[in-house]
Parts: sequence; structure tokens; C-alpha cells
Amino acid sequence: MASLSLQHIYKKYEGGVVAVSDFNLEIADKEFIILVGPSGCGKSTTLRMIAGLEDISEGEIYIGDRLINDVLPKDRDIAMVFQNYALYPHMSVFDNMAFGLKLRKLPKDDIKRRVSEAARILEIEHLLERKPKALSGGQRQRVALGRAIVRDPKVFLMDEPLSNLDAKLRVQMRVEITKLHQRLQTTIVYVTHDQTEAMTMGTRIVVMKDGFIQQVDSPTELYEHPVNTFVAGFIGMPPMNFINASIHVEDNVVYVAFENTTIKLPARYSIPEVLDHDGKEIIFGVRPEAITDDATYVSQHTVTGFSADVDVVELLGAETYLYVTVNGSLPLTARVDPTTSQSRVGEVVALAIDANRIHLFDKETEQSIIS
Amino acid sequence: MRNRNEPKLTSLSASLRARTVMIYVVVGLLALLSIFPFYYMFINSSYSSYHILKQMNLLPGTIKQLVMNIKSLSGHPEFNFAIGFENSLIISTAATFLSVYFSALTAYGIKVYQFKLRNAAFLFIMVVLMVPAQVSITGFVTEMMSMNLIGTKWPLIIPALAAPGTVFFIKQYLDSSLSLDIIEASRIDGANEFYTFNRICLPIMVPALATMAIFSYVANWNNFFTPSIILSRLQDKTLPLMVYGLYSDRFTDYGQVFAGLSISVLPLIVVYLFLQRFIIQGVSAGSVKE
Repeated sequence: MASLSLQHIYKKYEGGVVAVSDFNLEIADKEFIILVGPSGCGKSTTLRMIAGLEDISEGEIYIGDRLINDVLPKDRDIAMVFQNYALYPHMSVFDNMAFGLKLRKLPKDDIKRRVSEAARILEIEHLLERKPKALSGGQRQRVALGRAIVRDPKVFLMDEPLSNLDAKLRVQMRVEITKLHQRLQTTIVYVTHDQTEAMTMGTRIVVMKDGFIQQVDSPTELYEHPVNTFVAGFIGMPPMNFINASIHVEDNVVYVAFENTTIKLPARYSIPEVLDHDGKEIIFGVRPEAITDDATYVSQHTVTGFSADVDVVELLGAETYLYVTVNGSLPLTARVDPTTSQSRVGEVVALAIDANRIHLFDKETEQSIIS
Repeated sequence: MRNRNEPKLTSLSASLRARTVMIYVVVGLLALLSIFPFYYMFINSSYSSYHILKQMNLLPGTIKQLVMNIKSLSGHPEFNFAIGFENSLIISTAATFLSVYFSALTAYGIKVYQFKLRNAAFLFIMVVLMVPAQVSITGFVTEMMSMNLIGTKWPLIIPALAAPGTVFFIKQYLDSSLSLDIIEASRIDGANEFYTFNRICLPIMVPALATMAIFSYVANWNNFFTPSIILSRLQDKTLPLMVYGLYSDRFTDYGQVFAGLSISVLPLIVVYLFLQRFIIQGVSAGSVKE
């Protein structure tokens, strides 16, 4: 186990393409760090630089106190789990898992003990004699995990390990990897484009876009306090509603106006950063669950209420998504309680925003106004 | 009520059947064309030279004549099966091993490593593929003479290292069946490059290697042109050269020639039977998910 330090990391390709720019991150020992972002954001490149599979154009990477920029992958004491498993097709599950140990010339008894232990943890003891082609997708991914576990490396690197599994298996493996982290107490760097995986597994999440870190925070902080519209829109499903609005201040009270609606914000928003935007255009962010059609709530919160036309109602069992249009032009999504929601397609519905859970972003910089 | 689709289906199945029959006829004819020369060779080894020249024989002759033809081979001054077999075996085995192994290394290098002029290197190999061996034979023989290697097996073995056709075939196979993630997994597991090639990549390549080994072995075993220039003494000659020695300006015993030819191709059939079981598709199935 070890900490990991990435200092001013750049990855520049021939032709001037910059995949990763000034990446700075301190990963503590035993931390489960998630690198998340859309395709091409540089998350996998960063992971591959940590693994030693890509050269580092600039910057320094340390595992513990050791600078590893010029250390070969085999000497970095890391293990990696690939998206497509990357098992050795001609070897049995046992040999796949034992491969790295044999190369390190460990005693046979030790190899057998370690492989058996990992197989027991991953519940693949009965598969040890099989070849990869005789395994299901989930079993193959377990073997790939097992191959990493037996090595007892300082850092685990996982490159979208669940992407090739079906939805049900993905949820199951997600839980198992989380349990594995709790059990092994090891440092994990995990790359994914799936924000659900990021939110549920990581102790901290690094959101990336176009090679730049956007925000590094715990899942809760990231969700509650996104630093910009990109992070706010990327984290959360359905995504946050972004509304072009303007701020008006009267008697130190902040009002947000959009379409033909004006809502009053609670006193806690009367801070200099917000007050400075008086009369300015902003981006008003509201998560779908902060909009409700609950009649009692709406009647009690008229200052944040508005009406909208219901376009689509999606019943998902535990929750309902309302796709509505305000003033005939502003589409919004609301996540409401199916047990209380009375909204029907084609009707005009009264909605209210939970003003304590809104976000304000600068129109030009798209950065959050509320720090 | 009669199903409206029924006549349509019937005509579809009839047309499918007709197509299948057509395919079988064409494939059967092609198979016959391929097999017939071998059949003709084996059949004629059981006839006397007189009967071979007199008529076209389509049915086997006598065992007695076959034995006579084979026995006459052993008495021929230009034919020694044991020596010819040994020479052919050494040259073909060594050349096949070298061509397949080093071609695999080359293809692996081009596939796995990113380096400047990688595409140019591959293109150069392709260009070499277009040049027939006969074009360079004068220079090759002169070079071998200067190195004092004429009359030895080396000129027939060492050049097998460079086999552009084999490189091309293996490279194409790797493009479709080798995921670079497997190579990277092996590196992270602690293997060096050579170990990764030998222990991880070569086993994945086995179907391509077996296919190329068959081609290479057959080509080297049957090679007549270069050995005829390099080898002159009887104790150095390969089987095809010895069979050629059965021809004479005055009298050629064709029964003997066909028997010699039949004996000389038998080892090839054994090699084919041994290697063809390795040509199985999907050896890397389950290794990575595309």
C-alpha cells in the first residue's frame, strides 16, 4: 500500500495534441480515487501514465516517496485491471493469476496459497482449472481482479473494469469491488465514464474534461457543491436543469427571474458573491429532485412556485420523472414522488423549487458563484 | 385456408437447394483438380515405364511393380533416400523454424511497438515480397561463394530468416486476434519484452504459425531452384534433386521416377497431418472482450 503523488503532469502527443494538462493530485494511502469524465477527457491516459504504459511528457509521479517517471511498468509494483479483462487465453485461471507471481520467482507453495486465497475471496475457486473462453463475462472480470489481488501491489489501477458487463452484473461487481477495497485496504485508482460508479465507489472523485481537472472532491461535495456547470451537469442522473436567468436584489433579498417567473431565494444566498451579480445574467441550476409537484409543498412555497406544461411522465417505480415546459419554451426535468404526484401528460401543473438546493453559475465563466 | 406465403417459401427453398448443389459441384471439381495430380503420381508408381508411356492409367497397377520400382530406386547411383531424406529434413525443419519464428518476431514488432517509420518498414517488407528469388540469385550465389558456403546447407537455411510473405500473414493475423491490452497486462505482471513475446504472444499466434509452417515446410521441401545451384555432391542433395537425378538423357524409368516422387512427398503429408490440428480458430476466445 502506498500514497500516490501526481505533480504537474502533462501528456502531449506529436502534432500538438495535449491529452492531459497540469494534472496535480495527491492520493492518500488506502484511498479509492475515481477518475471520471467523458470520452477523450484524458482519464485513461492519466491512468496509463501511472501504470507506465504511456510516457509522461512533463511532470513527476511518485508512488510513496519513489519517483517512477522512468521506472518500467514491471518495476512499479502496481496491478492493473483492464476493461476487456486482458486474460491470457492459453492459460488456465490458476496460471493467469499465478503468472505475475511466477515471474517474481515466489515459492510454489506461496503462489498456490495466494491464488487460493484470492480465488476464495472472489468465489472463483471452482474455476481455477478452466480456460478464459469457458468463463462468463463476470467470471472473467473476477479472474482479472484476482490476477491483480494476488500480486499484493502498492496501487491498483482499474481502467473501466465494469464497462463490458451487463447492467445487473455491473451493479453486483460494483458492490464487490467496494467490498474488496474495504477488505484489502489498498490504494485504488479507478477510471470510469459512468457517474453512478463514480458516486457509489469512490472516496474522492476527480472530474476531468479536455485533459484538465475540473474538481476533486468527495461524492457528496461534488453533488452538492459543483464548481462549474460541467461538473454540475456531469454528476447526477437525470442531469441538472440549467436555466438562463437574471439576478435582482431588493432590500438585500435575492430574486432569480427566468421566463415569466421570479422566485425568491432564502436569506443565506444574500452573500457578496451573489449580491455582486445584481442585474446580471446568470445560469440557474436546479437538480430534478429539487423541483416538486407535491401539492402541500407547492402551496407552502409560493415564492419559489411556477407552473408548467407536462410533456412526458416516466414512471420508474420508486420515482417518477416529469418532463415539463415552462412558458412554452423552457424544458425542465423534475424527479417527483410517484405516491403523491398527480401530474398527467397535457395538463398544466403547479411546481415549486426547493430554494435551499439551487445552484448559481456565472454566465461567462460557467463557474459557481457560491463558493 | 392456404397460406399465401407458402408458394413463395417453396420456391425459395428450391432455389437455395439449387444453389447448394451448384456450390458442391464447383467445390467438388476444384477438389478433383487438386487431388488428381497426386493420385496420378501414386498410381503411376505401381506401373512400369512402358505402361506409363503407353497409356494414361487411372486405376492402381500391381503391388509387385510398385515394389520393383522402389527396389530399383535403391540401386540407382543418383538416388539415396536416407541421405536425401536427412538433408531435406534438416534444411526444411531449420528453415521453417527460422522463417516462422523470426517472421513472428518481426510482425510482433510492427504490431506492438510504436516507432518512427513503422509503416515505412512494413511497406518495405511488402515491396520485398514482390521481388522473385530468381532476380537476386546471381548476387546471392556470388556472396555465398565469397563466404565459402557453396556446397553447405547454410545458404538454404539462413535466408529463411527473412520471409516477407510470412511476416505479412502473421501481421494480419495479429491485427485481428491480438489485443495490446494482453501485452500490457503481461508487462505490468512483470514480464520483460522477450518473455511476453515467447510466453504470451506466440501461443496466441499458433494457428497462424502452424499455417505458415505448413507453407514454409512444403516450399522448402520442394525447393529445387536454389539447392540445384548450391548443392552438387550426392551426399549434400535434397530429395527433389535426387529425384531429378533419376532422369537420364538415354533412358528414364518413369515408374522409378514416380516411385521416387511418391516417397519424397510422403514426409510432407505427415507434417501436414501433424500441423493441421493446430490450425484451430478462436484460440484467443475469452481472452478479451471486444
